[in-house]
Parts: sequence; C-alpha cells; structure tokens
Amino acid sequence: MTTQVPDTLLDEVALGLAPDEDIRRVEELALADPSIAARLERARLRFLPLDDTAPEMPLPDGFWDRLRAQLDQAPARAANVVNLADRRLRRWRMTAMGGMAAAATLAAMLGWSLLQSPDPSVVAVLLDAEGEAVALIEGQPDNTTRVTLLERPDLPAGRVMQVWTKPDADGLPVSLGLLVAGRSDTLTVPGLPEPDASQLYEITAEPEGGSPTDLPTGPILGKGLAKKPVI
Amino acid sequence: MLGVARRMLRRSDLAEDAVQDALVLIWRRAHQYDPERGHARGWIFTILRNRCLTMLRHEDRGETTDPADERAVDDAFDRLPQSLDLRACLDGLEPETRRAILSSYVLGHSHGEIAGRMDAPLGSVKSWLRRGLVKLRECLT
Repeated sequence: MTTQVPDTLLDEVALGLAPDEDIRRVEELALADPSIAARLERARLRFLPLDDTAPEMPLPDGFWDRLRAQLDQAPARAANVVNLADRRLRRWRMTAMGGMAAAATLAAMLGWSLLQSPDPSVVAVLLDAEGEAVALIEGQPDNTTRVTLLERPDLPAGRVMQVWTKPDADGLPVSLGLLVAGRSDTLTVPGLPEPDASQLYEITAEPEGGSPTDLPTGPILGKGLAKKPVI
Repeated sequence: MLGVARRMLRRSDLAEDAVQDALVLIWRRAHQYDPERGHARGWIFTILRNRCLTMLRHEDRGETTDPADERAVDDAFDRLPQSLDLRACLDGLEPETRRAILSSYVLGHSHGEIAGRMDAPLGSVKSWLRRGLVKLRECLT
C-alpha cells in the first residue's frame, strides 16, 4: 500500500536537483498519499527561508499591463482540464477522509471552509511594490471573498487592512470589508456583480473602522488582477 | 518573487516572464491549493521555482563560473538569520557540500552544472550531495 520514497529524493525534489520525471512522479505520489505529501511539504519548508534571502526587486513599470495582456491570451493555452478535474476529485476524497483527524486545528478549519465553499469564480495573487506575494484572493460568484495572507503585513499603528475590488474596470473601487484581526479571513458583501477575470483586487492600510471616504485612501499593501481558474 | 527569479535566471527580463508565468499557473491551479496540506507561501514559491527551473533547463548556461553566481550563493547564506536552524546546520557541512546544496536551490544548478563548476566527477558530486542532505536532515530534526 505504501510507496517507498526515500527522504533524500524528497530533498532533491525540493531543491530542484531531481530529474523532471522524478519530480513529476513524486508530485503524483504526493497527490495520492497524504503522508508523502506531508514529507514533501516538510522538505520544501526546510529550504523556504532561502527564498527570503533573494534581493528585493521592485516591480518594473508596465508589469501589470503586460500581465493583463498575457491573461487575455491565457484561456487559449489552457490544458489538462480533464486531468485537473480528476486530481481535484482525488483531493476532495482525501480531504474528506484526512480532515477528520485534524479537526481541532486551524488548518482543519480552513480545510472545512474549503469543503464548504464551491470552487472560486476568480483567484488573484496580490503583490506588494517589491513584487512579493502578500495575499491570495479567492472570489465566489456571490462575492464571498476568501483572503489568505501570505505575509504578516507591516501595518502602521492604528491602521487596519481593507480589501477592495473594482467590479467595473473604469469604475470606482468597492470595499469588500476589513481584515479586523489582521489575519486571513473570509469576507461577504451582498449586491455586487459576480467577479470576473481581470478584475482588480487590492488591500490598503486604512484608519481604524475603514476608509472614511469609502474609497482607498491609505498606502497599497498589495494588488493584483483576478483570473478564472481552469476547473 | 522577482528577486528569487532574477537570482536563478540572472536576467531581469526573463525573471519578469517567470513571475508572470507563475502567476498565471497559480491562477490556474488555485483549486488544487489546499490550506490543510500546505503552506500558501511555500506553494507559490514552489510554482515559481519550478517555472524558473524549466526555463533554465531549456537554456545552456555553459560551465563557466560566474563571479556573480558565487556572490549570490554567499549572500544567500549570509542573509539567513543567525537564529535559524537551517543556517546552523548548513554551517556544520563541509564548505563544498554547503556550496553545492545552496547552488542547487538558489541558482537552480543541476548535478552536472555543479560538477562542471567544481571541476569534480559527476558521480562524486552526486554522492557527497546525498551525504550532505542526510546530514542536513539529521541536524534539522
């Protein structure tokens, strides 16, 4: 039942030293076997601090415009739809089985919300001015928005994170809500149109209680364009 | 993200391409991301690093030693916080083994590239890299 995967191979996959076919094989085994997935994850996390040692580089001018242009072409390049759907099915099954054991942890709570929520309509990765990924946004058709913070943001005292989107590219930003606890959260706002591809999302630092003008006033902590995942 | 890609790919324009490609891949695969099983930041960096590695494997960098690469590896080690176990454990390895492990992660070098740059037989490089990884793992647990 269990497949033997040596720890050193997992390390070599994490480092990028293993040949492509080994990387693919190990990733497939990890999808099917949560214990291999956990060991691979541990191997990757061991080296993750090295990514923080890379010099910071500001995003060049025109980055978002070029990304938008690439997104417009992206659907034509979509591939492996059937394969992905199959993997998702396997993942659901595993999450359903594995989730029970860890029910007491925060991780399980997040997993539970994943089980509860349908697949997102759109997903956006928000980057800060240095090009660091600061948050992952998943927008549902009813504008329930799951915000996963990837960095502990550097918030000035007395400020709170406010999440915005622009349902109409030429219109004004609309508030999706505040991350009051300063942590990842799921926000719900009624009455907005279903989020669409290329929709702008951003997080700004606003005074306690949110922007007084109902428009972003504070510095941008992260912004990004949405994209419909291929499911 | 851009800094990680620039360090591996050496060129800013390629680094920007890699970050953009990685963002598109992240969007496509977002439904595969499972917070119960993984760390979001680790997941994103894995996608970015894999994208950079694919770009690197399609490009022949030759076997010349670039002083900028040497510096990038030294800087990566120096910038690891002193308090981190990874730093202490890397510090406990032979200098060549440490350099080989760091060049694979930081610069995306393959076994062959490491052997070429160190002017050592491929077989020996592979075996002392493996021994180094075993030592590192024991030290980190």
